[in-house]
Amino acid sequence: MSAIQRYLAPTTLEEALDALRESEATILAGGTDVMPQSQAGRLRLQPTLLNIRRIDELGGIALDGASIRIGALATISELLESELINERLPILAEAADHFASPQIRNAGTVGGNVCNASPAGDTLVPLIVLNAEVELASKRDGKVERRRMPLESFFAGPGRTHRAADELLTAIYVPAPAEGFVAHFAKFGTRPALDISAVSVGIGGVWRNGTFKNARVAFGAVAPTPVRGRATEGVLEGSALDAAAIGMAAAAARDEVRPISDVRASAWYRKEMIHSLTKKVLTNVADA
Amino acid sequence: MTTKTIEKNSLIGRRIPKMDAPDKASGKTRYIGDLNVSGQLYGKILRSGRIHARIVRIDTSKAKALPGVHAVITAADVPDQRPIGVNKDHMPLKGDKVRSQRDEIAAVAADSEEIAEEALKLIEVEYEDLPTIFDPRDALKPGAPLINDFKKDNVAMVFDYSHGDVAQGEAESDVVIEDSFELHYVTHCCMGVSGVIAEFDASGNLLLYSNTQVPFLHKREFAELLNIDPGRIRIIQPPIGGGFGSKLDIYPFEPIAIFLARATKRPVKLMFTREEEFLASPTRQPVILTLRSGVRKDGSLTFRTVDTLHDNGAYTSWGATTPFVMMQTFSSLYRVEHCLYKTTAVYTNNPYAGSFRGYGNLQATFAIEQHMDKLAEAIGMDPLEFRLKNAQEAGEVTGQGMHFKTCGFKDCITTAAERSDYQAKRRAYKAAQGAPGSVKRGVGIASMLHVGGGAKIYPSDGCGTILKLDDFAHVTVMTGASEIGQGSETVLAQLVCEELGVPLGSVTVVNNDTDITPWDVGVHASRTTFIAGNSAIGAARKARDKILNAAAKVSNLAAGDLDLRDGFIVRASDGQVIMPLAKMLRSLHFSDKAELVMTTHYYEPPSVHQDKGFKGDVSAAYAWATQVVEVEVDTDTGIVTLLKVWAAHDVGRVLNRLGIEGQIEGGIVMGQGYAITETLMIENGVCKNPNFRDYKLVTAPEIPEMDITFIETMDGEGPQGAKGVGEAPAICMAAAVANAIENATGTRIYKLPFTPENVYRALHPALAEAAE
Ligand SMILES: Cc1cc2nc3c(=O)[nH]c(=O)nc-3n(C[C@H](O)[C@H](O)[C@H](O)COP(=O)(O)OP(=O)(O)OC[C@H]3O[C@@H](n4cnc5c(N)ncnc54)[C@H](O)[C@@H]3O)c2cc1C
Repeated sequence: MSAIQRYLAPTTLEEALDALRESEATILAGGTDVMPQSQAGRLRLQPTLLNIRRIDELGGIALDGASIRIGALATISELLESELINERLPILAEAADHFASPQIRNAGTVGGNVCNASPAGDTLVPLIVLNAEVELASKRDGKVERRRMPLESFFAGPGRTHRAADELLTAIYVPAPAEGFVAHFAKFGTRPALDISAVSVGIGGVWRNGTFKNARVAFGAVAPTPVRGRATEGVLEGSALDAAAIGMAAAAARDEVRPISDVRASAWYRKEMIHSLTKKVLTNVADA
Repeated sequence: MTTKTIEKNSLIGRRIPKMDAPDKASGKTRYIGDLNVSGQLYGKILRSGRIHARIVRIDTSKAKALPGVHAVITAADVPDQRPIGVNKDHMPLKGDKVRSQRDEIAAVAADSEEIAEEALKLIEVEYEDLPTIFDPRDALKPGAPLINDFKKDNVAMVFDYSHGDVAQGEAESDVVIEDSFELHYVTHCCMGVSGVIAEFDASGNLLLYSNTQVPFLHKREFAELLNIDPGRIRIIQPPIGGGFGSKLDIYPFEPIAIFLARATKRPVKLMFTREEEFLASPTRQPVILTLRSGVRKDGSLTFRTVDTLHDNGAYTSWGATTPFVMMQTFSSLYRVEHCLYKTTAVYTNNPYAGSFRGYGNLQATFAIEQHMDKLAEAIGMDPLEFRLKNAQEAGEVTGQGMHFKTCGFKDCITTAAERSDYQAKRRAYKAAQGAPGSVKRGVGIASMLHVGGGAKIYPSDGCGTILKLDDFAHVTVMTGASEIGQGSETVLAQLVCEELGVPLGSVTVVNNDTDITPWDVGVHASRTTFIAGNSAIGAARKARDKILNAAAKVSNLAAGDLDLRDGFIVRASDGQVIMPLAKMLRSLHFSDKAELVMTTHYYEPPSVHQDKGFKGDVSAAYAWATQVVEVEVDTDTGIVTLLKVWAAHDVGRVLNRLGIEGQIEGGIVMGQGYAITETLMIENGVCKNPNFRDYKLVTAPEIPEMDITFIETMDGEGPQGAKGVGEAPAICMAAAVANAIENATGTRIYKLPFTPENVYRALHPALAEAAE
């Protein structure tokens, strides 16, 4: 049974932050996690339901100096359609393309995907590869404060983040990638649409003159949070991305992840799929 | 004066949209979930969650005290309850002990669903756990715990069948092979969840709004259960959101809703949640099957020995009786002189299986069609020629006594093979197995035999029809046959139109009220078009005779020279209009004769009951099909992608082309789900995936291209030559996919489903072993 006592739909960030400060609130963006989770009894709705969708400044995807700003309310469909994303951060469009179904993509937001903090969240791995930062806002002592932290260290566990209860995620900032930067993402689900990732792999780096540098590797659904693949990065750094190097990196990836078994896959199979996907993603990177 | 003439215009074989489609597509159909009767209460069931435990104490006092709660009942409150199910081994409310996760302990009737849910949480139950059985093989071990105390050996049901002498067959064989197959749990996943509304009137008559597929059988069963006269029970079926066999048995929620209605003297509506639908509706029968087959070098089959172990779960429903159908496939799909078949169904603490489209035939065909490939390989014969050599033909009477009056089997095989280019592809893909690249292609073939003219299992396999025409030539067909979305009402209307020469819009089919419609055994065994169709034709012909005899008198023509076309009485030779049908009907009605055209017909198929050894010509016709599938197997992930299916079906005759295409397409997708994506994960008796996120039905992008060909054998007994085909299209898929995976990879997999992880494991046994 629903315990909602108050529904708020502010149009400014300040109003929303006031509400967060004053009451126990459930933040509602697209609702594609909030609704099924509360129905299933996994998420307890707070007395206040705070719909943030009417706050214009939380939306949009735009250049912001040397970064690309993705508003918390940008939907997965917007990622898919944005020219800026397709040109500068195509790995995010790649992830959006394998995300849920069109209906869910129209409603689901990037901010919701990040704050939901599922280890299988499909934008998380590419955002880690892209070295993204999250921006959090709160209202303390009467004024709006903003802070940023690396998205990679934002997650505390499945469904848990380092966001304080009075904070709202306002945007994600992605540094514009360096010249020659190439990144790809692959998700393993058992069917082509509407599947939660059993594992996912994102790999990026600067691929020039036959050497791969500044490698960043991230894995989804192999740990309580999305994780960096540091051992794999080590193997890849400076590599020529030939068949032998790809094979070694894939083996390193398989060896460094520590997944669990659940209804979607056994731990063993997850490791095997990390191996297959790493090979596939690296082949795509090398082909660029 | 110009005289109007009308050509004969048949609807048979045309593409007719289903009569109920506009309402269903526009959301106007009122399913049971949409139906509310005034004064109704909401029922909810408390399930054990324990797997095997003695019930020490149940305390319902807090639940009873909750405002808005009208009744809380346990087994103690219904001392008169009687066991249900095929073995009568299943008490609706469990009093002594629980035997599976879904077991019903208590039930609540309240003013709202929310209050009822809240009340369930207030019921306290104390259990004492008992030792469990999860692997059916353990059920037969000495000292195994007893699931049902009255069965000291845990054996729920046994089937033994034989013809010929398998020892002799084995002696005559040049090659003998034996393999074990394992088939998993899947469930129907009807879009409409289970539900019932039970209401007693002041005189104690019971009205049930029910999704049942067998209203007339259930009327009698409920009467026995409640110890009341069957005449006092009326069952109305609102439009049913899918059946597929799942609604062939009584399940505890139905008597429980009735008990609640009795206790509260109010109508009680009880609807499942989706999670409950997964936990507490029946599954397809899981089977462990050992098949031993022999063949001579010349390619003739010698014998087949089959031993199957059915996990019966804690209670017995129709799943236990699927051997009726399984043995037909083993004994009669191909000509085999010697056949020995045995099934043991054992009690465990797992879910129990019911009937499910195909009724054991998917499991049997999975084993037999893999063996057909293996036997062909063993003697170096082309698998297609091997099948053709052993395939049944028209006129044959099999060892089990089935008589194939029409049989398009060989046409099915050659059509599917030619249209798919099966032989050339098979050779090319086999040759490419060792080629570099992780993605392999393969083709696989499988065929099936299934009853297509009813199945004489109950004392009667018949169906009744009452037909009436009103003063405006509108026809009402009251049929015992139930509509579960399969399109029967459209086909019945078409068949009636064919006899009475009226447009489809002039026919209403009434098929959902036991107080109105005449008896029918139920919608199962692919029987409705055949049996109810013949029954409707019978009633329509009687009406036609009446009308033409009356018209003969006024037209001075012989009745045989007249015809009914497009709402008119015409001269058969040239179609010249004699008078509107409605006018004829009015003149009959308002003349001195004062006659209304109303007819009845009961059709009983000319099939026979099987003897004690399961022999006899159990169906009036038999359906045949061959399906070829082409798959892509990604050996790096184990993902099997179904690219295309070529299906050739002996359907007797196409009645509604649109309807039968839908039926075949839907069946193929259901078979695809069984083969590749679906599995109800049961771990230590607990269902791990009672939701559509983790129970993977086939989604739209996975549906393959389909090439469907109908082989029309014009069955002499069938309505306009048609046979039943409802179950047929789901049956071959798993077997064909298994054969295709083997063709692609060289690896044969004996265990379903072909989910990526299972396939990957089978393709990389060394990796899997190293990990263990
Ligand atoms: C059928 C289906 C398929 C799906 N498939 C996928 C898939 O393929 N891949 C995938 O990654 N996910 C998938 N999801 C999950 C979900 O759609 C995504 O996580 C989506 O991005 C969530 O966004 P939302 O706006 O709907 O979040 P909401 O449900 O509104 O919120 C999610 C969580 O984040 C919090 N929140 C939202 N916005 C903010 C904010 N700005 N600041 C602070 N907290 C906030 C909410 O309080 C809540 O806890 C699927 C869901 C469904 C129902």
